[in-house]
Amino acid sequence: MNYPVWQLSMGAGVLMAWVSILHVFVSHFAVGGGLWLVVTESRARRRDDAQLLQFVKSHSRFFMLLTLVFGAISGVGIWTTIGLISPHGTSALIHGYVWGWAMEWVFFFLEIGAALVYYYGWSRLDARTHLLMGWIYFISAFMSLIIINGIVTFMLTPGGWLENHRFWTGFFNPTYWPSAVIRTFGGIAIAGIFTLMTAATLPRGAFRTRVTRWNAGWAFAGMVVVALAARWYGASVAVWRDEEALLGAIPVLPVVAGWFKLGIIVTAVLALIPLLVPRVWNKGLVAVLILCGLLTMGAGEWTREAGRKPFVIQGYMYSTGLLESESPVVEAVGMAASAKWISPDAAGDSARLGHDLYLAYCQPCHTRDRYNGLAPYLAHWDRETVASLVPHLQSMRALMPPWYGTEYENAALTDYLLTMKPQGEAAWPTDPDRAGELAFRISCGLCHTVSGFRPLADSFADMDADEIDEFLDSAGDIAEGMPAYFGPPRQRKALIRFLRTMNRETAAAGATVAAVGTEGGRS
Amino acid sequence: MNPQAIIPSPDALPLPAPVFVLQLLLQLTFLLHLVAMNALLGGLLITFFARLRGRGPDDPWTGLADALSKVTPSLVAATVTLGVAPLLFLQVLYGQFLFTSSILMGWGWFSVVVVLIFAYYGTYLQSFRGRALGGGQVPLLGLTVILFLWVGFMFTNNTTLMLQVRKWAPMYFADARGLHLNLTDPQLWPRYLHMVLGAVAVGGLMLAGWGRARLTRGDGRGTFMMSTGLGAFTWFTLANILFGLWYFLAQPGAVRKLFMGGDGTATALLGLGLVVGIVLVMVGFMLRRQGEHAGLWPVGVLTAVQMVTMIMIRDVARGGTLGVHYRPETFAVRTQALNLAIFAVLLLGGVGVMVWMLRQLYLAWER
Repeated sequence: MNYPVWQLSMGAGVLMAWVSILHVFVSHFAVGGGLWLVVTESRARRRDDAQLLQFVKSHSRFFMLLTLVFGAISGVGIWTTIGLISPHGTSALIHGYVWGWAMEWVFFFLEIGAALVYYYGWSRLDARTHLLMGWIYFISAFMSLIIINGIVTFMLTPGGWLENHRFWTGFFNPTYWPSAVIRTFGGIAIAGIFTLMTAATLPRGAFRTRVTRWNAGWAFAGMVVVALAARWYGASVAVWRDEEALLGAIPVLPVVAGWFKLGIIVTAVLALIPLLVPRVWNKGLVAVLILCGLLTMGAGEWTREAGRKPFVIQGYMYSTGLLESESPVVEAVGMAASAKWISPDAAGDSARLGHDLYLAYCQPCHTRDRYNGLAPYLAHWDRETVASLVPHLQSMRALMPPWYGTEYENAALTDYLLTMKPQGEAAWPTDPDRAGELAFRISCGLCHTVSGFRPLADSFADMDADEIDEFLDSAGDIAEGMPAYFGPPRQRKALIRFLRTMNRETAAAGATVAAVGTEGGRS
Repeated sequence: MNPQAIIPSPDALPLPAPVFVLQLLLQLTFLLHLVAMNALLGGLLITFFARLRGRGPDDPWTGLADALSKVTPSLVAATVTLGVAPLLFLQVLYGQFLFTSSILMGWGWFSVVVVLIFAYYGTYLQSFRGRALGGGQVPLLGLTVILFLWVGFMFTNNTTLMLQVRKWAPMYFADARGLHLNLTDPQLWPRYLHMVLGAVAVGGLMLAGWGRARLTRGDGRGTFMMSTGLGAFTWFTLANILFGLWYFLAQPGAVRKLFMGGDGTATALLGLGLVVGIVLVMVGFMLRRQGEHAGLWPVGVLTAVQMVTMIMIRDVARGGTLGVHYRPETFAVRTQALNLAIFAVLLLGGVGVMVWMLRQLYLAWER
């Protein structure tokens, strides 16, 4: 709205995911790995274990190369990327938390300096001073995590900040502590994972077995605490407590939250292998463990990101940059008048207006046919359907930001969306069940689920096919916000069949049927 | 289209400190970043030149390139770390402009991150593997230099495009895929080259300082470092006076007028910069004649004065170019005094710890 929008064909979220997941994995290693270095070095020196000390030294080189180069630069990369895809959100975060970022920068500065002194000091500093450098490194890295955690969690659960806009109220928000525990012990687990990798390059023998078990202890213990803290975290997110979001209001949320839980279990179980039978540990298993850790971390971050839809800062700013407090004004003046980056030509050019509205209000989260692609839906929709849906965008299940288009704006956006419709007739499933699911997903499933969020399972329980057919004719008159139904005969028939049978299937399959429409309607 | 209509509104949240405090921090941290960046980029270009000149392992040029390659990764770390803070304060004060220009050149701006990672690893490869790279050493170094020059070029593109508010609408409405650069701006090349040449000059002076430190410890290789460093400093400072004039002439007329008597402070700064630049060249030639006995402190202090002057000139030029489009007086301010104080204490403590750590390493190395 306030800023131009980068038209990324891959989707802004995908670019952000690549940068952030890779960075977060390495940056947590930078914290947990720092603790591993000093604790293991202390242990080696205490026991006068030259072999272990040499292992720590050689691992520290890998540690430095990964965390100082990739970790540090990709951290700057997150800044760069969020500035590009969510300038309004970034601006709000640096205005509210510039001193938080500045404090974090001091620790970042110390962290980098201490890491270099620690590494280059191996052969120059005495043991006590060297260890002290390691502790300075770890404490700085940990403080960096502790500060960024406050700002990141603030975005999902700003808590009392929404009323008083005070720095520390938002910082120590409802998910601050569980998230801090997850991130700290996640870092410890990742330290174990990466040191298991270094250990797998050692020649087989007693030392490798010993060091493999030691590192596996870090990975396993870290994951156990992460599992416990994840439950605490979930219970701390107020907007998840009513379960709307988890039941399909945010379609992708239950999916990625499920992956996160599964990832924690699989990673913990995998870490048990080197703990219990270190002799079997090898490079192939390391690769699997790293991949699991990375995917788990990715799912966790995705859960957090998805969990605040449709906001950038929950309850304050929508992903389009619109402030919740500005909604009444936008409702009064319309969407084009509320956005700065609408071409002057759009005033007399409906096609230009549709294009610019799409860029300003849809592009921040959607693409044509990639991430959150619209083409798979548009393929099955005709003009009447799109026109009936556009005025009701904010009612949709992905919990979209408010849309207050004027009639002219709705028509312009409809026309533009139809330019994205794939050419030719869309493929339609021959299997009646799949056809029914698809028909549901591209119509009722946009706003409802079968038995989760805004459930329909009971609504059609006592209706026969003719009654449902009649109902669809008058769908647009049933309630405000309910669009009319314009599906062609083939879709209509499949939808009626689905609506008639879903109640029985729900009873048989339980809540799993709620997933219908969830998988296809990713947000 | 009236540019004012599309310039993003200031953030709804108030600034957490008065504008002058944030300005001061921006200029101060930018100065520190500039020192590190000059050491890095200037050092890299000198390394590349030395590597090309070096004939065999005993050639002093080869020795110089080896020595510089060893410290380059740490200079990257310093440059990046010290670059984060000014970028933060720039976004706080000029976010409306910087975010917009970044989006217009989206892929170019994003490329900085990817390119920097490869460039950074390139310096470590040079540092750790050194001559073991064999015939690949020069091409690898050349590639690393190009990558760092690319990063600088993108920064110059962005910091000039953020001021060209009249260009934004035509660019964006023609193509929103983030493929623009600011190549048609007459300021772009002189500004970029002025920065690169300045980096070689200041990097050369630091090299001379390193040579002096070696000589003090009785290491004869310091003589070559001093003469090479002072040569780079003098000649590149001389060239930079000419590039600086080009940069000045490329400024919009209104900005040029500010420096030509329209504004007392601006005129004084430009005059000071010009005079100090000429003095630095004269002193540089004089020091070169003195050889290894040359005293570097006065020229070091004068160079620091020149860098501060240049940063202030930049700031005045930025303000002059944005003109009425930038009105900091419209920003709401709600000072977070406690947080500012915590930051100040942490910063002082952090600098103290950093100095202590480096001193420990230095003392151990001396032993």
